[in-house]
Amino acid sequence: MKKALIVLALAIACASMVSAQTINVLFWDDAYPRALMEKIPEFEKATGIKVNFEILQPPQVFTKTSVSVSKDHTDYDLVCVDEGNIPLFAPLMLPYDQWGPGKVFKKIDPNTVTPAMLDVAQWDGKLIGLPINGNLYVWMTRKDLIENKTYQAQFKAKYGYDLGVPQTLQQLLDEGTFFYEKGIVSGGFGPFNGGPAGVFGEAIYMWNSFGTDFINWVNGKPTLVIDKAKGVQGMEFYKKLMKISPKGAETWAHVERQAAFCADPKGVFSMFIWPAQIASYEDPDKSLVANKIVYSAPPAGPAGRFAIRGTWAVNIPLASKNKDAAAEFVYWWASKDIAAWLVEQNTVPARTDVLTDPRYAKSKPWLAAIADSMQYAAARPRFNEVAQVQDIVKKYWIMGITGQMSCDDAMQKIMDETNNVLKNAKY
Amino acid sequence: MSSRTQSIEQRDSTRLSGKARGRAPFLFLAPAIIVVFAVLIFPIVFSLIVSTYDWPLSEGAGARSFVGFDNYINLTKDPEFWNSLKLQLGFIFIAIPIELVLGFAVALLLNREFFGARVVRSLLLLPVFFLPILSGMTWRFMLQPRYGPLNTLIVNLGGPEVSWLGNPITAYIAIIIQDVWRMWPFMFMLLYAGLTAIPQELMEAAQIDGAGFWRKLRSLTIPLLSPTILTAVLLRIIDALRVFSEVYVMTEGGPGSATMLFSLYTQRQAFGYQKVGMASAMAIFLLILSIVFALTLVRKNMSLDVLEEKAGA
Repeated sequence: MKKALIVLALAIACASMVSAQTINVLFWDDAYPRALMEKIPEFEKATGIKVNFEILQPPQVFTKTSVSVSKDHTDYDLVCVDEGNIPLFAPLMLPYDQWGPGKVFKKIDPNTVTPAMLDVAQWDGKLIGLPINGNLYVWMTRKDLIENKTYQAQFKAKYGYDLGVPQTLQQLLDEGTFFYEKGIVSGGFGPFNGGPAGVFGEAIYMWNSFGTDFINWVNGKPTLVIDKAKGVQGMEFYKKLMKISPKGAETWAHVERQAAFCADPKGVFSMFIWPAQIASYEDPDKSLVANKIVYSAPPAGPAGRFAIRGTWAVNIPLASKNKDAAAEFVYWWASKDIAAWLVEQNTVPARTDVLTDPRYAKSKPWLAAIADSMQYAAARPRFNEVAQVQDIVKKYWIMGITGQMSCDDAMQKIMDETNNVLKNAKY
Repeated sequence: MSSRTQSIEQRDSTRLSGKARGRAPFLFLAPAIIVVFAVLIFPIVFSLIVSTYDWPLSEGAGARSFVGFDNYINLTKDPEFWNSLKLQLGFIFIAIPIELVLGFAVALLLNREFFGARVVRSLLLLPVFFLPILSGMTWRFMLQPRYGPLNTLIVNLGGPEVSWLGNPITAYIAIIIQDVWRMWPFMFMLLYAGLTAIPQELMEAAQIDGAGFWRKLRSLTIPLLSPTILTAVLLRIIDALRVFSEVYVMTEGGPGSATMLFSLYTQRQAFGYQKVGMASAMAIFLLILSIVFALTLVRKNMSLDVLEEKAGA
């Protein structure tokens, strides 16, 4: 009996040792983490750490992180937090300087991350986790259209300048209108009107382009700083772009945008893309426009050029019991070898050395555009109540750009209701 | 003393005392009561308690603070709350009558035997078995302006492309149509069952007395079917108050907040804004609303029963 008990205790101890080497990981769903999944067995073999990998749509990642991670308990050893929600989750995460050194893979020097992306994981003077993808607005324009000699001649005759990759919002409008009115494309522009975070990104892009910020931290509190006149100008311009967008674009999220750009025989002339999705647009099995896209930094507005950032940071919850194993996984993921492999899969990591590697200059033309966009990286405001403000902006922005309400009234509503949220939050 | 008397005394001596006998039914019922409380009552009580706290979801229970009825007061000041309530009630009062009329009409039509009647009746039930989330997704794609079949048909007939889900009014109509499509067979199912239970002798007697179709419908079918109708409506109202997934995948509450039904806004409060207390207050409000609907319809149903009994007497 005594022997049996000893054997049982040993078995339990062994089992608990094995389970200590299992990490639960929660990531967002797109081509980038999906590509990584292929490589995970290699990590497991190299370290003996088993990875339970869960990927969900971004809103569900947010919800599940909210429910599953607290100061004293976590269901996950590693979670991804998108840029806007870093303030909300920062108190629950282990600052990067407290991550272990790594037994098999060397701790990643944060300076390997491109500076525009590194900023994403900074909060309260600390680096909270490690930015893992190079996601910010990159512009796509149909190469087959702008290189067509007939269109070039017709466009120049009408507008007096050369057809090409739109460098300004006005050029985007002109060129988009040209192709749309001739019925060459289903849309001269592809807006994003899906989720609140995406619409918020579009609004911030337009407001910045027309010379105004929306919310800034002033004296330690988020403060509405938008210049209403400039805000209305930005919205009015987007309204013009909506008029050359395909039918139904009022509700377009990523799926619809991709379908319109890649699967519609006429397609869309020009629009932004998150680099994380480039893999799908460049897949000849899924896309009619694979290898027919020119990538560039976004068109500039009257106040300059801006590229909205949407990067994810990987974070270890304070309550994780497997912090070292989780860190080991991140060091592997963010290593140069894996980053290079991910680039080959048409995805975009956050490492400067890989993004600027001349080996990929020709075969991955979007990398140069991403590097260019990074010079103009702009962040969406970050504060705890951002979800409420995003909903307000989405509601009235769409009402404004679709003509259900004047842009002036819509802007006023955005300002009034945002102020209410900030007031109720007692900043 | 006879052996029978002895055995009775013996049995009495093993019986429980009066006090213990009083407690016995409760002891036997206790497991059931505990289960009912744990499964049914406790979540509601817990939700009620949570609704009196300011409870940020991501900060766990440690960060909650008692705010009394502040969440309820704040709800009444929130225009989006009233908007979502208005949309929810509109959804119920438009969709359910359509489903009722459609279900009733088809039940009347199919309340006869003909070749293939059973197959037709079974096939009509198919939409009810469709997962709500799949129904929402299917309708979203059917209404897609560029490649959706509905617009393809309209365009081929010479009409314009319509952005069904991009316009606040058509989007609201679309979610109602989706619900009607999925749930009218439920009404049909209940009402058909009710119709088959109506004694044929009554109908035949009315016919002999010279009553036509409309007279029979007005004076016999509808009154006799009223309890079934009320039950069906009650079940649908309770279900429609909780509609979520199909609308979420169709519109996510948009465009703007044109289809932000009560349940969607509750979800936004809890998981978008991280305000668990506010979301619980909304859940309690919805519960009260459901109870009001249920009590009203049950009372109406009971009064119908009383009338029926009186008529029978």
